[in-house]
Amino acid sequence: MELTRKFRVTGVPKTIVNDGSIEILGALPEDAFVRGVLGLPEVDSPPQ
Amino acid sequence: MSLLSDQDRQAVRERLSDIQQTVRLLLFTQTIGAPETAGLARQVLDELASLNDLIQIEEVNFVLERDRAAQYGIEHIPSIALLSGDEDTRMRFIGAPAGYEFVSLIEAVVLAGTTDSRLTEESRALIAANVTGPVDIQVFVTPT
Repeated sequence: MELTRKFRVTGVPKTIVNDGSIEILGALPEDAFVRGVLGLPEVDSPPQ
Repeated sequence: MSLLSDQDRQAVRERLSDIQQTVRLLLFTQTIGAPETAGLARQVLDELASLNDLIQIEEVNFVLERDRAAQYGIEHIPSIALLSGDEDTRMRFIGAPAGYEFVSLIEAVVLAGTTDSRLTEESRALIAANVTGPVDIQVFVTPT
């Protein structure tokens, strides 16, 4: 409970990287998640 | 009494059959004053271990073995540290891995028991190129 308060978890899944420097809310595809964790910009998908 | 139905046990057994090496689950708990979730965590782990001989459970007393708890960075109980053989995978579960968390635990155990992370080559390249120091990842799967 204290952890959810510390990181203001109101929706799950919520991913906290390095004690809060990066926060990711929700489940993402692998490439987006890896980029998010690494703090890299998203790559736009090509139009279909 | 089993926590899982026979059908679910079989499904989990099949998923765990991918494990190739011993996975040790260290359950950090305490005898006196433990929260209710500690008993549930033990039940869940025992159920899991009954489905694959390569899964071993070890209970560590959080109060009496403080050094060991510190070694694994354990600050809350119940907590579970996953080891692949004797090697710390650095994966941790905080709280009882019941409900939806059980699926996450199964996948973590399979990950610890195999040598393939199943990440794409692109992901591996990004990680290799951009990780220059420790990265701590905490995933909250329940809000409580």
